[in-house]
Amino acid sequence: MEKSVIRDPGFYVMVGIGLAVMFIAPVMLDLFTIMQFTQYVVLSVFALSLGYIWGFGGILSFGQAAFFGLGAYTFAVASINMGSTTIPMVLAFIIPTIFGAALGYFMFYGRLSDVYLGVVTLVVALIFWKLINHTAGPEYSIGKARLGGFNGIPSIPTLHIPGDTGAWLDPAQMFQVFMAILIIIYIALRFLIASDFGRVSIGIRENETRASLLGYDVRLQKVIVFAIGGGIAGLAGAMWATYQSFIDPNSVSMEMSAKALVWVMAGGVGTLAGPIIGCILLQWLTLKLGTVDVVNSIAVLGAIMMVLVLALPKGIVPTAKMLAMNGWTLWNRRPNRDAVTRKAVKHE
Amino acid sequence: MSDDYNILTTRGLTMQFGGVTAVDNVDFNLREGELRCLLGPNGAGKSTFFKCLTGQLTPTKGTVTFAGQEITGALTHKIVNLGVGIKTQVPNVFDGVSAYENVRLSARRKHLAPLARELTHATLERCGITHLAKREVGLLSHGQRQLVELAMVLAGEPKLILLDEPAAGMTGDERDRLAQLVLESARSAAVVVVEHDMAFIRQIAKFVTVFNRGAIFREAMIEDIMQDREVQEIYLGKQANAA
Ligand SMILES: Nc1ncnc2c1ncn2[C@@H]1O[C@H](COP(=O)(O)OP(=O)(O)OP(=O)(O)O)[C@@H](O)[C@H]1O
Ligand SMILES: [Mg+2]
Repeated sequence: MEKSVIRDPGFYVMVGIGLAVMFIAPVMLDLFTIMQFTQYVVLSVFALSLGYIWGFGGILSFGQAAFFGLGAYTFAVASINMGSTTIPMVLAFIIPTIFGAALGYFMFYGRLSDVYLGVVTLVVALIFWKLINHTAGPEYSIGKARLGGFNGIPSIPTLHIPGDTGAWLDPAQMFQVFMAILIIIYIALRFLIASDFGRVSIGIRENETRASLLGYDVRLQKVIVFAIGGGIAGLAGAMWATYQSFIDPNSVSMEMSAKALVWVMAGGVGTLAGPIIGCILLQWLTLKLGTVDVVNSIAVLGAIMMVLVLALPKGIVPTAKMLAMNGWTLWNRRPNRDAVTRKAVKHE
Repeated sequence: MSDDYNILTTRGLTMQFGGVTAVDNVDFNLREGELRCLLGPNGAGKSTFFKCLTGQLTPTKGTVTFAGQEITGALTHKIVNLGVGIKTQVPNVFDGVSAYENVRLSARRKHLAPLARELTHATLERCGITHLAKREVGLLSHGQRQLVELAMVLAGEPKLILLDEPAAGMTGDERDRLAQLVLESARSAAVVVVEHDMAFIRQIAKFVTVFNRGAIFREAMIEDIMQDREVQEIYLGKQANAA
């Protein structure tokens, strides 16, 4: 529960798997699969952003794609104008963070209730989507970058080595850089959550009234958590933009926000491994179902989601953990019982 | 009595919910280091009064002054940081985490981590719940949760402690321990205790305020209150109505 990160075996398992995939996958797998994996990595970062604010700050955002899209467009516009990708990547984190802080300030200092918070985040994402869709004309350009409305922005630069705009990353390198980003964000969030700041957030999630009755400023705390989540989602958006070298309003769509909610819910709210696993599993399923033309993939996905929620209401990771713990106790009991019987036999 | 010695003063404090006046024009004075019991039948407005003091509700009318500073309608965390600690009637605890972490989060508010850890251990010990330190609070009994919440309040080292029905759900032993703690705490802080449990009241009470229908009905020493016909009647009346 509150054990430190460095004593949690799960942490090492996750980082270990991450590092192994990062270094082994490019050697073992073909290009197409690597690019498929890259997509999962980007979306996992997006899933983490929601998994963090929802699971560890008690903030349920129905419009997390607003930050994803903001990051993506920030990166697209900045990198097209600058010709470099390093600073745009940083901006894609900073600008959504600032936007998250501003929106969070309005919501949390305005004492919006949870329901309204959900509605506001949803509406903000919708407004973004509408706005971007209306920027098709040539008059909507920022510097050299035309926003393109529903047509999107093409020819977004590929990531290059910082300081050397000629050194583009090939797909395998990009995969490795993105894996590194995912691992770093996972580690950073684990330590943030285990810090005193993170524990106060968890306290707020558990009981907001008590947190303020202990003297903590719940509003400020929530604004910070929300802003960090926004920044991470923005970074994922930038990764998405450079990976596809193209971005359109779909990145801000309801579907994008909903997907993140589904991943987190399926994987398990209150964990970080959960959102990642939920994202990969469900994206993979969507891909598999997409190849079968007979059934509507969205409908089947919806059905799977409902089964998951009913069968594993806590999500995949918490359920697996519980099963593992139960198995472990059962396993441990056997030798103990043997020891007791042996003792009893001895006494006779 | 001069206001200079008062840690808490309310003037004309009123809280209305629609047509219901839950707290009605209350002038309340509490001296520094005083231990006060607040009695009154169900629905008399005791909990609502506490909520007005701690900023959980913004009073409709009147003022609250704490340690010489007006705090009427201030934000809860600001009032708490001035030195007010409250155990609410329905325990407000962090269910999903351990008792230790619950108390530590309170101690950590004012102190750096190492000192907070020490204070947490000391407070758990003081409240007799060291053996519960690692247990998840959501899984504890009502009485144990009350003790955890009390430990959280004490770890905040408040100048004014408000306890709303702290003995509810406690076993005899737990209740005796609580009475001990309340008396001990009253040496370093002002304490107001709301309680229905007469056995408990007898253990701790000196000066008593009785609420009825949101207003102060009587203020006197506990011996006089116990003999007071009218006080008995408001209690009995309510109970008769309820039955
Ligand atoms: N949020 C609220 N909205 C409407 N009415 C309320 C609210 N809170 C309290 N009341 C009403 O105010 C009155 C006082 O309630 P309060 O809880 O303060 O009484 P109490 O003295 O604490 O009673 P008890 O001993 O049962 O805890 C009651 O009539 C109650 O119904
Ligand atoms: Mg009450």
